[in-house]
Amino acid sequence: MAYLLQHLLTEAAARRPQRPAVASGGSELSYHELDRLSTKVARALLRRGVAPGDRVAILATKSAASVTGLYGALKAGACYVPLDPKAPAERLGYVVRDSRAAVIIADQTTAAQAAVLADGVPGSLGVVVTNGTDVAAEPDEPLAEDRAIETDLAYILYTSGSTGAPKGVMISHRNSLTFVEWAAAAARLAEQDRVCSPAPLHFDLSVFDVFATCRTGACMVVLPDGAATFPVSIAQWLEKERISVWYSVPSVLTLLACYGSLQRFDLSRLRTVIFAGEVFPPKYLARLMDELPHPRYLNWYGPTETNVCTAFEVPADEADAGPAPIGKACANTEVFAVASDGSRVSKPGDEGELYVRGPSLMQGYWGQPAKTREVLVANPFQESRDELVYRTGDLVTLDPQGNYVYVGRRDSMVKIRGYRVELGEVETALYRHPAIKEAAVLPVSDELLGSRLRAVITAVKGEGEVGGGDLTRENVLDHCRQWLPSYMVPDVIDFREALPRTSTGKVDRAGLARE
Amino acid sequence: METVINDYVSRELVQDRALLPLADDTSLLETGILDSLSLLRLVVFLEERFGIGVGDTDLLPDNFASVNAICAYVRAREPGRTGATHG
Repeated sequence: MAYLLQHLLTEAAARRPQRPAVASGGSELSYHELDRLSTKVARALLRRGVAPGDRVAILATKSAASVTGLYGALKAGACYVPLDPKAPAERLGYVVRDSRAAVIIADQTTAAQAAVLADGVPGSLGVVVTNGTDVAAEPDEPLAEDRAIETDLAYILYTSGSTGAPKGVMISHRNSLTFVEWAAAAARLAEQDRVCSPAPLHFDLSVFDVFATCRTGACMVVLPDGAATFPVSIAQWLEKERISVWYSVPSVLTLLACYGSLQRFDLSRLRTVIFAGEVFPPKYLARLMDELPHPRYLNWYGPTETNVCTAFEVPADEADAGPAPIGKACANTEVFAVASDGSRVSKPGDEGELYVRGPSLMQGYWGQPAKTREVLVANPFQESRDELVYRTGDLVTLDPQGNYVYVGRRDSMVKIRGYRVELGEVETALYRHPAIKEAAVLPVSDELLGSRLRAVITAVKGEGEVGGGDLTRENVLDHCRQWLPSYMVPDVIDFREALPRTSTGKVDRAGLARE
Repeated sequence: METVINDYVSRELVQDRALLPLADDTSLLETGILDSLSLLRLVVFLEERFGIGVGDTDLLPDNFASVNAICAYVRAREPGRTGATHG
């Protein structure tokens, strides 16, 4: 049995070498080829001096080349750090420096951008281009031995941090495989499946289509960038590619249900639709299930820190009965909710914070032990044990069937198209603007897309050329785009003379939210 | 109309400022300026600013490929476009 993620690949390649592993950009890469090429990438990394446990960043969109790169990093005994090539340079620079990336893996289109980033990392061993000549020249021989064990890190996923900088969630091979094994069974993946998730590699939904697909020997199909823009193009593409399993955030499915003209396409191959990352508005889920009645619909829940930890299959006739529950715990996982008085939530209607325990839990936040201790805590009901459990910050209740139902957040994190956004990180970026004196960022609910961000700001007065006069909406947006990925840039900017305050002098967020 | 739409796209939708100034025939798709979210924001803007209704079957690459393509689409959809009253 596999105990390292890359074993999934070597096993699939041994079992069915000629089956397609990754279909992207109109061509297919077989399991044999993926295995062979990723070993060459590993050899190129080892030749550069990559040692076990080193971080190897991957700057490339999801493709056969980047999947080859991430398996190469794993085979070299490294842990991969996927980067969003579209993120601002400041943020990418922060992630590669914070993770001390030994090498940056790029493809032909990102090689130059990767070289600039690598220059900013002290001790960097440079850039390896997965489909470049260096890799091609490596000997075509399997590596003699594994360079990792299951408790070693497999990848670090950076997610929004409340104090202003992204934080790296450390996931070991065992953490990931716990999810991957469960997910392949829960989605009933089979070898003939064609699996697609539009989630990029730096978003944890991609762990499913990259690894659970490989676990099964099925084919991972990459949605081309251009097709993702237009709902009708996605529907057309689903038909053409005969996609059988789809996994995405609800907002993409909402757009498909509303604007996809689904009746015009033959989507009979699509047998499983999985969504995660945020609440699916019941109205649009019902509409989707009405337009496409034949697939199974699965609601999966889990922060990046725990992998997916609960799941719920939406019954055909209950889509509009209210928000779909997040369900019950996955295999090898326990979840429980703790009420504000410290007791365990046990009856329908009671509310509490969801805790998760089991082998899928992260190893902590990279380089941030204090932050880690805030969320990985002693089990409040098993104090004699030394294992740690994860506090999700998500408030839940129970339904009469024993399913957990998501209620809201304990803190100021919001989801924008499934991405976590800490309002504090957006505020920190705004405060970097020399002419901004105060900033408060609030979510505004948007029926179709879940949430958008609204920033309420006040200007520094009398600062002459330093700021003051030139604080415009355009200028604030430009500033945000230098520091934040697009989903974190506020849509609405409100300029105020002063921020409203509560009697204790804090910013009156509730008051602002009611406006 | 080209100026109005170009201004809106440049101000609201272009994330990578290196793409500015934006030519009216620049591909909004190849440059990644339009994604599923920015497309919807653009649709809301067009509906409000020009008083047109954008149907789901109109959300096609041909209609949104560039500022020029959007203008052509909006002109074809504008109310009262049957006569020669508009300039």
